[in-house]
Amino acid sequence: MKLKKFVKDNKLLTITFVLYVATFFYNRGIFISSLEMAKYFFIQLIEIMPAVMIISALISVWVPQEVIIKHFGKASGFKGRLLSLLIGSFSAGPIYAAFPVAQSLYFKGASIANVTIIISAWAVIKWVMFMVESSFLGLAFASVRYALTIPAILFVLGPLMGKLVHDEDMVHEEKHEVEIGSVEYYLNLLPNKNCGACGHKNCANFAKLLSEGKVSMDKCIFFKKGEEEEEKEVPVLEER
Amino acid sequence: MNTIILIALAAFFLIWSVIKDRKKTKRVWKIARGTFLSMISELVAIMALVALVLAYTPPSTIKYLLGNTNSFLSSVYGALIGTVTIIPAFIAFPLAKSLYHSGANLVAIAAFITTLTMVGFATMPIEIRHFGKKFTLYRNFLSFLLALVIAFGMGMIL
Repeated sequence: MKLKKFVKDNKLLTITFVLYVATFFYNRGIFISSLEMAKYFFIQLIEIMPAVMIISALISVWVPQEVIIKHFGKASGFKGRLLSLLIGSFSAGPIYAAFPVAQSLYFKGASIANVTIIISAWAVIKWVMFMVESSFLGLAFASVRYALTIPAILFVLGPLMGKLVHDEDMVHEEKHEVEIGSVEYYLNLLPNKNCGACGHKNCANFAKLLSEGKVSMDKCIFFKKGEEEEEKEVPVLEER
Repeated sequence: MNTIILIALAAFFLIWSVIKDRKKTKRVWKIARGTFLSMISELVAIMALVALVLAYTPPSTIKYLLGNTNSFLSSVYGALIGTVTIIPAFIAFPLAKSLYHSGANLVAIAAFITTLTMVGFATMPIEIRHFGKKFTLYRNFLSFLLALVIAFGMGMIL
Protein backbone atom coordinates (compact mmCIF):
# COMPACT_ATOMS: atom_id res chain seq x y z
CA MET A 1 0.00 0.00 0.00
CA LYS A 2 2.79 2.36 0.89
CA LEU A 3 4.46 1.64 -2.44
CA LYS A 4 1.23 2.35 -4.26
CA LYS A 5 0.94 5.74 -2.62
CA PHE A 6 4.56 6.53 -3.39
CA VAL A 7 4.04 5.65 -7.05
CA LYS A 8 0.93 7.81 -7.19
CA ASP A 9 2.66 10.78 -5.59
CA ASN A 10 5.80 10.45 -7.70
CA LYS A 11 4.57 9.41 -11.13
CA LEU A 12 7.43 10.94 -13.05
CA LEU A 13 10.02 9.48 -10.73
CA THR A 14 8.48 6.04 -11.15
CA ILE A 15 8.42 6.29 -14.94
CA THR A 16 12.06 7.37 -14.93
CA PHE A 17 13.00 4.51 -12.67
CA VAL A 18 11.28 2.00 -14.95
CA LEU A 19 13.07 3.47 -17.97
CA TYR A 20 16.40 3.15 -16.20
CA VAL A 21 15.73 -0.48 -15.37
CA ALA A 22 14.74 -1.13 -18.98
CA THR A 23 17.90 0.58 -20.22
CA PHE A 24 19.98 -1.48 -17.84
CA PHE A 25 18.83 -4.65 -19.60
CA TYR A 26 18.75 -3.14 -23.07
CA ASN A 27 22.14 -1.45 -23.22
CA ARG A 28 24.59 -1.42 -20.33
CA GLY A 29 26.77 1.30 -21.93
CA ILE A 30 23.94 3.79 -22.26
CA PHE A 31 22.82 2.96 -18.73
CA ILE A 32 26.22 3.79 -17.31
CA SER A 33 26.68 6.99 -19.28
CA SER A 34 23.22 8.20 -18.27
CA LEU A 35 24.05 7.53 -14.62
CA GLU A 36 27.21 9.59 -14.98
CA MET A 37 25.26 12.45 -16.49
CA ALA A 38 22.59 12.16 -13.81
CA LYS A 39 25.28 12.31 -11.17
CA TYR A 40 26.47 15.64 -12.55
CA PHE A 41 22.92 17.01 -12.50
CA PHE A 42 22.31 15.81 -8.96
CA ILE A 43 25.49 17.37 -7.62
CA GLN A 44 24.49 20.66 -9.18
CA LEU A 45 21.01 20.31 -7.72
CA ILE A 46 22.20 19.55 -4.19
CA GLU A 47 24.73 22.39 -4.29
CA ILE A 48 22.27 25.00 -5.43
CA MET A 49 18.75 24.18 -4.32
CA PRO A 50 19.03 24.34 -0.50
CA ALA A 51 20.66 27.78 -0.73
CA VAL A 52 18.05 28.95 -3.23
CA MET A 53 15.20 27.72 -1.05
CA ILE A 54 16.62 29.46 2.02
CA ILE A 55 17.06 32.73 0.13
CA SER A 56 13.49 32.55 -1.21
CA ALA A 57 12.14 31.85 2.26
CA LEU A 58 14.19 34.69 3.74
CA ILE A 59 12.74 37.04 1.13
CA SER A 60 9.18 36.00 1.87
CA VAL A 61 9.60 36.32 5.64
CA TRP A 62 11.89 39.33 6.02
CA VAL A 63 11.66 41.67 3.05
CA PRO A 64 8.77 44.12 3.41
CA GLN A 65 6.30 44.19 0.56
CA GLU A 66 6.77 47.93 0.01
CA VAL A 67 10.46 47.45 -0.70
CA ILE A 68 9.79 44.89 -3.41
CA ILE A 69 6.98 46.94 -4.92
CA LYS A 70 9.19 50.02 -4.99
CA HIS A 71 12.17 48.31 -6.64
CA PHE A 72 10.56 45.57 -8.71
CA GLY A 73 6.91 46.58 -9.01
CA LYS A 74 4.99 47.79 -12.03
CA ALA A 75 6.08 51.38 -11.44
CA SER A 76 9.76 50.58 -10.97
CA GLY A 77 10.49 51.41 -14.59
CA PHE A 78 13.83 50.98 -16.28
CA LYS A 79 15.69 50.95 -12.97
CA GLY A 80 13.62 47.98 -11.84
CA ARG A 81 14.39 46.12 -15.05
CA LEU A 82 18.08 46.81 -14.72
CA LEU A 83 18.07 45.66 -11.11
CA SER A 84 16.26 42.47 -12.11
CA LEU A 85 18.87 41.82 -14.78
CA LEU A 86 21.68 42.29 -12.27
CA ILE A 87 20.11 39.99 -9.68
CA GLY A 88 19.62 37.30 -12.29
CA SER A 89 23.10 37.58 -13.72
CA PHE A 90 24.88 37.43 -10.40
CA SER A 91 23.13 34.27 -9.33
CA ALA A 92 24.12 30.69 -9.86
CA GLY A 93 22.59 27.51 -11.09
CA PRO A 94 20.35 26.45 -13.94
CA ILE A 95 17.01 28.01 -14.82
CA TYR A 96 14.94 25.96 -12.40
CA ALA A 97 16.84 27.50 -9.50
CA ALA A 98 15.43 30.88 -10.54
CA PHE A 99 11.80 29.83 -10.12
CA PRO A 100 11.51 29.80 -6.30
CA VAL A 101 13.31 33.13 -5.93
CA ALA A 102 11.35 34.80 -8.72
CA GLN A 103 8.12 33.42 -7.29
CA SER A 104 8.70 34.81 -3.82
CA LEU A 105 9.51 38.19 -5.37
CA TYR A 106 6.32 38.02 -7.43
CA PHE A 107 4.25 37.25 -4.35
CA LYS A 108 5.75 40.32 -2.72
CA GLY A 109 4.77 42.59 -5.57
CA ALA A 110 7.38 42.31 -8.33
CA SER A 111 5.93 42.87 -11.79
CA ILE A 112 5.57 40.11 -14.38
CA ALA A 113 8.04 41.89 -16.66
CA ASN A 114 10.69 41.95 -13.94
CA VAL A 115 10.01 38.34 -12.95
CA THR A 116 10.62 37.36 -16.59
CA ILE A 117 13.82 39.37 -16.69
CA ILE A 118 15.12 37.75 -13.51
CA ILE A 119 14.44 34.23 -14.81
CA SER A 120 15.92 34.91 -18.25
CA ALA A 121 19.00 36.68 -16.94
CA TRP A 122 19.48 33.89 -14.41
CA ALA A 123 19.49 31.39 -17.24
CA VAL A 124 21.46 33.20 -19.91
CA ILE A 125 23.63 35.94 -18.49
CA LYS A 126 26.38 34.49 -16.36
CA TRP A 127 29.71 36.15 -16.06
CA VAL A 128 31.53 32.92 -15.33
CA MET A 129 29.85 31.27 -18.29
CA PHE A 130 30.82 34.20 -20.46
CA MET A 131 34.44 33.41 -19.83
CA VAL A 132 33.94 29.74 -20.58
CA GLU A 133 32.06 30.59 -23.75
CA SER A 134 34.67 33.03 -25.01
CA SER A 135 37.47 30.57 -24.34
CA PHE A 136 35.70 27.93 -26.42
CA LEU A 137 33.99 29.96 -29.12
CA GLY A 138 36.02 33.12 -29.15
CA LEU A 139 35.58 36.51 -27.53
CA ALA A 140 33.81 37.93 -30.60
CA PHE A 141 31.15 35.20 -30.56
CA ALA A 142 30.48 35.49 -26.84
CA SER A 143 30.40 39.29 -26.74
CA VAL A 144 28.13 39.68 -29.75
CA ARG A 145 25.79 37.06 -28.33
CA TYR A 146 25.63 38.85 -24.99
CA ALA A 147 25.36 42.25 -26.65
CA LEU A 148 22.26 41.04 -28.49
CA THR A 149 20.76 38.96 -25.68
CA ILE A 150 20.85 41.57 -22.91
CA PRO A 151 18.81 44.21 -24.78
CA ALA A 152 16.50 41.49 -26.09
CA ILE A 153 15.66 40.50 -22.52
CA LEU A 154 15.49 44.06 -21.16
CA PHE A 155 13.55 45.75 -23.93
CA VAL A 156 11.64 42.98 -25.68
CA LEU A 157 11.02 39.87 -23.63
CA GLY A 158 10.36 41.53 -20.26
CA PRO A 159 8.04 44.32 -21.41
CA LEU A 160 6.26 42.00 -23.86
CA MET A 161 5.55 39.46 -21.13
CA GLY A 162 4.28 42.26 -18.91
CA LYS A 163 1.82 43.24 -21.64
CA LEU A 164 0.71 39.75 -22.62
CA VAL A 165 0.46 38.00 -19.28
CA HIS A 166 -1.75 39.44 -16.57
CA ASP A 167 -1.87 38.91 -12.86
CA GLU A 168 -5.05 36.84 -13.19
CA ASP A 169 -3.12 34.29 -15.27
CA MET A 170 -0.53 33.69 -12.61
CA VAL A 171 -0.38 31.19 -9.81
CA HIS A 172 -1.32 32.91 -6.60
CA GLU A 173 0.09 32.62 -3.17
CA GLU A 174 -1.68 30.06 -1.06
CA LYS A 175 -2.88 32.10 1.83
CA HIS A 176 -3.95 29.59 4.35
CA GLU A 177 -6.31 31.74 6.24
CA VAL A 178 -6.90 30.81 9.81
CA GLU A 179 -10.59 30.33 10.36
CA ILE A 180 -11.92 32.48 13.14
CA GLY A 181 -12.86 30.30 16.08
CA SER A 182 -10.63 27.38 15.12
CA VAL A 183 -8.04 25.84 17.43
CA GLU A 184 -5.28 27.46 15.37
CA TYR A 185 -6.95 30.85 15.62
CA TYR A 186 -6.98 30.73 19.41
CA LEU A 187 -3.51 29.30 19.58
CA ASN A 188 -2.23 32.32 17.66
CA LEU A 189 -3.87 34.63 20.18
CA LEU A 190 -2.42 32.81 23.18
CA PRO A 191 1.11 33.56 24.39
CA ASN A 192 2.16 29.89 24.09
CA LYS A 193 3.96 30.09 27.41
CA ASN A 194 2.17 26.95 28.65
CA CYS A 195 2.05 28.46 32.14
CA GLY A 196 -1.01 26.55 33.25
CA ALA A 197 -2.53 29.57 34.98
CA CYS A 198 -5.79 29.05 33.15
CA GLY A 199 -6.13 25.69 34.83
CA HIS A 200 -5.24 23.65 31.76
CA LYS A 201 -2.13 21.70 31.02
CA ASN A 202 -0.88 23.81 28.13
CA CYS A 203 -1.98 26.42 25.63
CA ALA A 204 -2.92 23.83 23.02
CA ASN A 205 -5.40 22.19 25.39
CA PHE A 206 -6.82 25.54 26.36
CA ALA A 207 -7.14 26.58 22.71
CA LYS A 208 -9.01 23.37 21.93
CA LEU A 209 -11.51 24.02 24.72
CA LEU A 210 -11.83 27.63 23.56
CA SER A 211 -12.70 26.53 20.05
CA GLU A 212 -15.36 24.28 21.50
CA GLY A 213 -16.71 27.21 23.46
CA LYS A 214 -16.29 25.45 26.80
CA VAL A 215 -14.11 28.09 28.43
CA SER A 216 -13.71 31.82 28.15
CA MET A 217 -10.70 33.69 26.89
CA ASP A 218 -10.21 35.77 30.03
CA LYS A 219 -9.07 32.69 31.90
CA CYS A 220 -5.70 33.36 30.32
CA ILE A 221 -3.73 35.80 32.44
CA PHE A 222 -1.55 36.94 29.55
CA PHE A 223 -4.49 37.65 27.33
CA LYS A 224 -5.96 39.92 29.98
CA LYS A 225 -2.77 41.87 30.31
CA GLY A 226 -2.01 42.24 26.65
CA GLU A 227 -5.38 42.67 25.03
CA GLU A 228 -7.51 44.46 27.54
CA GLU A 229 -5.21 46.71 29.42
CA GLU A 230 -7.93 48.81 31.02
CA GLU A 231 -10.43 46.13 31.82
CA LYS A 232 -7.74 44.27 33.63
CA GLU A 233 -7.48 46.85 36.35
CA VAL A 234 -11.12 46.72 37.28
CA PRO A 235 -11.54 43.06 38.24
CA VAL A 236 -8.25 43.08 40.10
CA LEU A 237 -9.38 46.00 42.18
CA GLU A 238 -12.73 44.41 42.82
CA GLU A 239 -11.16 41.30 44.12
CA ARG A 240 -9.26 43.28 46.64
CA MET B 1 32.38 30.56 -8.06
CA ASN B 2 28.83 31.91 -8.20
CA THR B 3 27.65 28.81 -6.41
CA ILE B 4 29.94 29.47 -3.47
CA ILE B 5 28.78 33.09 -3.29
CA LEU B 6 25.15 31.98 -3.35
CA ILE B 7 25.65 29.44 -0.58
CA ALA B 8 27.62 31.95 1.50
CA LEU B 9 24.89 34.53 1.01
CA ALA B 10 22.19 32.10 2.14
CA ALA B 11 24.24 31.05 5.17
CA PHE B 12 25.06 34.63 6.15
CA PHE B 13 21.50 35.84 6.06
CA LEU B 14 20.23 32.74 7.79
CA ILE B 15 22.61 33.38 10.69
CA TRP B 16 21.63 37.05 10.67
CA SER B 17 18.00 35.93 10.83
CA VAL B 18 18.68 33.62 13.78
CA ILE B 19 20.33 36.44 15.72
CA LYS B 20 17.58 38.90 14.94
CA ASP B 21 14.50 36.81 15.46
CA ARG B 22 14.29 33.15 16.36
CA LYS B 23 10.60 32.83 15.67
CA LYS B 24 10.83 34.32 12.19
CA THR B 25 13.81 32.10 11.41
CA LYS B 26 11.75 29.10 12.37
CA ARG B 27 9.20 30.20 9.79
CA VAL B 28 11.97 30.72 7.22
CA TRP B 29 13.22 27.22 7.89
CA LYS B 30 9.74 25.73 7.64
CA ILE B 31 9.05 27.44 4.31
CA ALA B 32 12.45 26.52 2.87
CA ARG B 33 12.11 22.89 3.92
CA GLY B 34 8.57 22.63 2.62
CA THR B 35 9.35 24.08 -0.80
CA PHE B 36 12.50 22.01 -1.12
CA LEU B 37 10.74 18.75 -0.29
CA SER B 38 7.83 19.53 -2.59
CA MET B 39 10.19 20.17 -5.50
CA ILE B 40 12.93 17.61 -5.03
CA SER B 41 11.15 14.48 -6.28
CA GLU B 42 10.10 16.12 -9.52
CA LEU B 43 13.51 17.71 -10.05
CA VAL B 44 15.36 14.45 -9.50
CA ALA B 45 12.99 12.70 -11.90
CA ILE B 46 13.39 15.37 -14.59
CA MET B 47 17.17 15.46 -14.30
CA ALA B 48 17.44 11.67 -14.42
CA LEU B 49 15.16 11.63 -17.44
CA VAL B 50 17.20 14.28 -19.25
CA ALA B 51 20.35 12.33 -18.48
CA LEU B 52 18.80 9.22 -19.99
CA VAL B 53 17.69 11.06 -23.13
CA LEU B 54 21.17 12.54 -23.51
CA ALA B 55 22.75 9.12 -23.14
CA TYR B 56 20.51 7.82 -25.94
CA THR B 57 21.36 10.79 -28.18
CA PRO B 58 25.12 10.92 -28.35
CA PRO B 59 26.89 14.16 -29.34
CA SER B 60 27.39 12.74 -32.84
CA THR B 61 23.63 12.89 -33.47
CA ILE B 62 23.47 16.50 -32.35
CA LYS B 63 26.51 17.22 -34.47
CA TYR B 64 24.85 15.65 -37.47
CA LEU B 65 21.69 17.73 -37.08
CA LEU B 66 23.50 21.01 -36.45
CA GLY B 67 25.92 20.45 -39.29
CA ASN B 68 23.10 20.37 -41.84
CA THR B 69 24.10 22.25 -44.97
CA ASN B 70 20.82 24.12 -45.13
CA SER B 71 21.57 27.04 -42.81
CA PHE B 72 17.96 27.85 -41.97
CA LEU B 73 17.10 24.24 -41.21
CA SER B 74 20.18 23.70 -39.10
CA SER B 75 19.40 26.84 -37.10
CA VAL B 76 15.90 25.62 -36.39
CA TYR B 77 17.35 22.24 -35.43
CA GLY B 78 19.83 23.99 -33.19
CA ALA B 79 17.09 25.96 -31.48
CA LEU B 80 14.92 22.86 -31.10
CA ILE B 81 17.67 20.72 -29.64
CA GLY B 82 18.56 23.52 -27.26
CA THR B 83 14.92 23.75 -26.26
CA VAL B 84 14.23 20.15 -25.43
CA THR B 85 17.46 19.40 -23.68
CA ILE B 86 19.45 20.58 -20.75
CA ILE B 87 23.06 20.02 -21.64
CA PRO B 88 25.74 20.77 -19.09
CA ALA B 89 28.16 23.50 -20.14
CA PHE B 90 31.13 21.15 -20.12
CA ILE B 91 29.52 19.20 -22.95
CA ALA B 92 27.75 22.02 -24.76
CA PHE B 93 30.69 24.35 -25.27
CA PRO B 94 33.26 21.78 -26.43
CA LEU B 95 30.58 20.38 -28.73
CA ALA B 96 29.86 23.82 -30.12
CA LYS B 97 33.57 24.42 -30.59
CA SER B 98 34.14 21.24 -32.54
CA LEU B 99 31.11 22.07 -34.66
CA TYR B 100 32.43 25.55 -35.28
CA HIS B 101 35.80 24.22 -36.40
CA SER B 102 34.28 21.61 -38.65
CA GLY B 103 32.57 24.45 -40.45
CA ALA B 104 29.07 24.23 -39.07
CA ASN B 105 26.72 27.11 -39.42
CA LEU B 106 27.44 29.83 -36.87
CA VAL B 107 23.78 30.80 -36.66
CA ALA B 108 22.85 27.25 -35.72
CA ILE B 109 25.43 27.18 -32.96
CA ALA B 110 24.23 30.51 -31.59
CA ALA B 111 20.61 29.37 -31.65
CA PHE B 112 21.59 26.15 -29.91
CA ILE B 113 23.54 27.87 -27.12
CA THR B 114 20.87 30.51 -26.48
CA THR B 115 17.86 28.21 -26.34
CA LEU B 116 19.83 25.71 -24.32
CA THR B 117 19.73 28.01 -21.34
CA MET B 118 16.79 30.31 -21.86
CA VAL B 119 14.12 27.88 -23.02
CA GLY B 120 13.40 24.96 -20.76
CA PHE B 121 11.12 22.31 -22.14
CA ALA B 122 12.08 19.75 -19.52
CA THR B 123 11.56 22.11 -16.61
CA MET B 124 8.20 23.39 -17.85
CA PRO B 125 6.15 21.39 -15.32
CA ILE B 126 8.08 23.08 -12.52
CA GLU B 127 7.70 26.50 -14.09
CA ILE B 128 3.95 25.95 -14.50
CA ARG B 129 3.60 25.11 -10.84
CA HIS B 130 5.40 28.29 -9.86
CA PHE B 131 3.83 30.77 -12.27
CA GLY B 132 0.96 29.16 -14.15
CA LYS B 133 0.45 27.84 -17.65
CA LYS B 134 0.09 31.06 -19.56
CA PHE B 135 3.25 32.64 -18.17
CA THR B 136 5.28 29.50 -18.84
CA LEU B 137 4.07 28.94 -22.39
CA TYR B 138 4.44 32.59 -23.37
CA ARG B 139 7.88 32.94 -21.82
CA ASN B 140 9.24 29.82 -23.45
CA PHE B 141 7.70 30.53 -26.83
CA LEU B 142 8.86 34.15 -26.91
CA SER B 143 12.33 33.15 -25.71
CA PHE B 144 12.52 30.58 -28.49
CA LEU B 145 11.66 33.20 -31.12
CA LEU B 146 14.07 35.71 -29.62
CA ALA B 147 16.84 33.13 -29.58
CA LEU B 148 16.33 32.61 -33.32
CA VAL B 149 16.34 36.36 -33.94
CA ILE B 150 19.52 36.73 -31.87
CA ALA B 151 21.11 33.88 -33.79
CA PHE B 152 20.27 35.39 -37.19
CA GLY B 153 21.49 38.75 -35.96
CA MET B 154 24.77 37.13 -35.03
CA GLY B 155 24.97 35.57 -38.46
CA MET B 156 24.75 39.04 -39.96
CA ILE B 157 27.28 40.66 -37.63
CA LEU B 158 29.92 37.96 -37.49
